[in-house]
Amino acid sequence: MEGVFTVNRKNRKFTFTPDERLLFTLRENGYTEVKTGCQEGECGACLILLDDKPVNSCQVLTASAIGKNIKTVKGIGDLHSPHIVQRAFVETGAVQCGFCTPGMIIATYALLRDNPDPSEEEIKNALDGNLCRCTGYVKIIEAVQLAAERIKNGELE
Amino acid sequence: MKDLNWYFPKSIAEAVDLVQQGKIFPHAGGTGLLSRGFTGINGLVDLSRLPLHYSKIENDSVEIGSMNTYAEAVSVLMKVDPEHILVKSLRNSANTPLRNRITIGGSIAYFPPWSDLMSALLALDADVMLIGENDGQFPVEEYVNDKDVRDKSLIIAVKFNLSNWRSYHYRDIRTKSDYPAFNITILLKQSLNKIEDCRVIIVGTGKKYSRLTNIEKYLINRDVGKINIEEIEKLVEVKFAGKRIDDPEYSSYLAGVELGRGVEQILRGH
Repeated sequence: MEGVFTVNRKNRKFTFTPDERLLFTLRENGYTEVKTGCQEGECGACLILLDDKPVNSCQVLTASAIGKNIKTVKGIGDLHSPHIVQRAFVETGAVQCGFCTPGMIIATYALLRDNPDPSEEEIKNALDGNLCRCTGYVKIIEAVQLAAERIKNGELE
Repeated sequence: MKDLNWYFPKSIAEAVDLVQQGKIFPHAGGTGLLSRGFTGINGLVDLSRLPLHYSKIENDSVEIGSMNTYAEAVSVLMKVDPEHILVKSLRNSANTPLRNRITIGGSIAYFPPWSDLMSALLALDADVMLIGENDGQFPVEEYVNDKDVRDKSLIIAVKFNLSNWRSYHYRDIRTKSDYPAFNITILLKQSLNKIEDCRVIIVGTGKKYSRLTNIEKYLINRDVGKINIEEIEKLVEVKFAGKRIDDPEYSSYLAGVELGRGVEQILRGH
């Protein structure tokens, strides 16, 4: 099968099998920032924004996403111009092995877009689909709070 | 890779024609399908471009289009009744990304044993609106139990009435993102000091779900002050099949305890 997708604002044509999951289509086409984790929708390593909603790309059949907007962590910001959320994760030490970080960033980005001033409970709820085996989450929550504070203070995203 | 065709209908009628051919399944959010696998499926009909993504609230009647996700359904109901049983059950179901993907229609059609949706819908006596081999409005319970009703039909929406139920939802999980071993929905209506009406549903039992009519009978018309929680716990007779997560006997015991706690929480707020 073939289909055109908008990935990080660029139109891309992918070839895939009818039962292929979006996670693997993205990775095979160079979007290796989307990580392969549990493949069951539990860990959030493969989180992307699909039409602006955070979803597990391992739980999406590629064909069902034809024509839709996909954003990976690199579509939010990169090494040369990191997003405020990405900077907050680095500055608070919320990144250890880094495997869960792309998913965490996507989840945080979506949370702060909809709710720029979340409570700790709301942060925990928004990140409930993202598992981290290193940090114990304390630094991650601090990173979300720091990014929220900076956005609230009018710092540019 | 097996032969699998995808169809992208532009109208509901076109989607229905495809589904009626047999071995062609509707694709809503797809999470249930990935869990089920593709055995016996020759084709998938993508429903995401059809006008099934709506919600209507008129007077007390709520209609939620089948392509709404759990997150969207919660958002619709939060505006009219933040304490609604579906808010309680769906808000905590799975996790945020999955709640953005699992649809109401797909979840009714698939009805997994860990469904947080179905205990609430069954307790609410909700209806499904179908189109296809069977057109019209059918009780969810009939849809679940009658293959002839389900076959070759598409779920358009789910309908139920807003009502002044006091409610409780319990998910039997070990970690927040677990699939529940079972879940319980309790709905109670109280008039002065008496229980006026009551519904108790457990999903995840050996028969997929059980309506605990003996507990409903115990509670209805009973003076609130004369409700004995331990008696309720003893009345719970549900059989769990196999050992999906826990020992069936332990699950049955736990269901009794949690059901008692649920009634207590609704009545006494703790």
